[in-house]
Amino acid sequence: MKKLFLLILFSNVTISELILEITQGTDDPYRVAIVEFSGDKDIANNVVQILKNNLRRTGEFVIFSNEDLISTPKDENEIIFNDFKILNIDYLIVGNILNDRSNITAEYEIFDIKRGSKVRSSTVYGIPNKNRQLAHYISDGVYEEITGIEGVASTKILYVTEDDYFRLVVADADGKNEQTLLESSEPIISPSWSPDSKKVAYVSFETGMAKVFIQDIASGKRELVIENSTQISSPSWSPDGKFLSLTMYQDGNAEIYILNLKNKNLTRLTNHYAIDTESTWSPKGSKIMFTSGRSGSPQLYEIDLRKSNAIPKRITFEGNYNAKGSYLPNNEGIVFVHRKNMTFQIALKYFDENFIRPLTDSQLDESPSISPNGNVIVYAIKDEGMGLLSGVTLSGAKFRLPATEGAVREPAWSGFLR
Amino acid sequence: MFILRNKLNFLVAIIFLSSCSSMNVTEESVYSGDVSTVKASSYESEYINYDSKAVFANATVYFDFDKSTLTSKSIQTLKSAVNALNDNSSIQITLSGHADERGTREYNLALGQRRAEAVSDYLILNGVNKNRITVKSYGEEKPAVNGQDEISYSKNRRVEIN
Repeated sequence: MKKLFLLILFSNVTISELILEITQGTDDPYRVAIVEFSGDKDIANNVVQILKNNLRRTGEFVIFSNEDLISTPKDENEIIFNDFKILNIDYLIVGNILNDRSNITAEYEIFDIKRGSKVRSSTVYGIPNKNRQLAHYISDGVYEEITGIEGVASTKILYVTEDDYFRLVVADADGKNEQTLLESSEPIISPSWSPDSKKVAYVSFETGMAKVFIQDIASGKRELVIENSTQISSPSWSPDGKFLSLTMYQDGNAEIYILNLKNKNLTRLTNHYAIDTESTWSPKGSKIMFTSGRSGSPQLYEIDLRKSNAIPKRITFEGNYNAKGSYLPNNEGIVFVHRKNMTFQIALKYFDENFIRPLTDSQLDESPSISPNGNVIVYAIKDEGMGLLSGVTLSGAKFRLPATEGAVREPAWSGFLR
Repeated sequence: MFILRNKLNFLVAIIFLSSCSSMNVTEESVYSGDVSTVKASSYESEYINYDSKAVFANATVYFDFDKSTLTSKSIQTLKSAVNALNDNSSIQITLSGHADERGTREYNLALGQRRAEAVSDYLILNGVNKNRITVKSYGEEKPAVNGQDEISYSKNRRVEIN
């Protein structure tokens, strides 16, 4: 039986944070009961609320809270499995928060109702004032246990905001806990995470021209990657972190180069009078995909780095605008910006299919970035002229991270951080 | 960010699958996730070349969607620019290319550059020394007009000469 699943979530947020709104979910979600955690009441309420939001946002869960349940066991001994079976619940989660002032520890257990047994018992050691992080770790543990896929609640998203200033911001994957990495009076575009998620590369116009910088997130230490008189843009890190692919304009036209970050040697990858830009590496680093105008309209091409002098191979054929591609982490396909008539959408193409799958349907969707587990794509939209971030899961759930202040764009999802 | 304060902070995921119950037991610590904020100082962007401003006030040429070819109207504008440059041989100019917001930001940055290069090529072909010209692009990042309609877009697909 197909279950209709529609959730709208309201949450209280501080003004500068992004609000989460789930607009659509999957057809056949997991039914999960989360009993209020015992122990420190304030922290427990906060943690459980974040846990519920994180699970809902994936579009794969229907959550049952205390008021929806027949019994609300505090621990394993109090569980009456039948009370959950009657409600057709798949999993039950109970937990406890220990707060001894210097340390906060969460313990939680997951029970498989159909099997009538405990399937997980976990402990997460927190840091004072980082209860969101604690909740994200629990969320990922729960997600992993139930779906068999690594969760992304504890990952981060980079994005650019514009109001009086341009800001490069890092936030939790739910859009909360925003922190500014860079503030500038000039535009910032194309943020890209290093594979270890400790550094970011981005394009800043602060010198009056597009230039690529690398910045260490913790220390704020940063450097201009190449000093020359022409513009440089579109940085992308190789999966091993040793190289940065870039677009350079030294002969007046956009061409792709690979920079060795250790010895600063540059290797030219493209040589064509048309635009070549938006390079990105395949998950194993053996190929580079990029956007090229060589056919007369922007299309995606791939170069095999294992072959010398390899000829770029065109990989998109449908429509006259396919750009800014990224590989799925399992290398089974690509996500990119596709123009249909005059609207720009985010689209997915699996390598073993000869058609593309549109994932979004607004007017000016751009900058798709894929979560490290490959399940979610965050992208930028324009709503009544204002830049906002949206998300879509490959299972079809959609959510929004609307800005309450300024325009938001250019999202980039980190790797796993747990 | 994500600096691990001590060894205890490393992810200690002890997962053991007991053969009879198949239950996962895990233990882990959250990372601290420190972030530093940097303020960029824009040292060149505020620079205005007043000499060239006086000569080329409002000298802007416009382009068709996804195109960097000069239109006949653009060439009319550029002819007077060539004359002004020849009459004032000491001034340096900057050509800033721009695109409308449709399409991806990096592709638009490259498109803005091509537009600025097309203007530069025309000026050089008509006798302007290339050492007097700086070419750059802002892509879609600095629209002249805000708006999601063709009239706004057409005003944003441009090269500014100053």
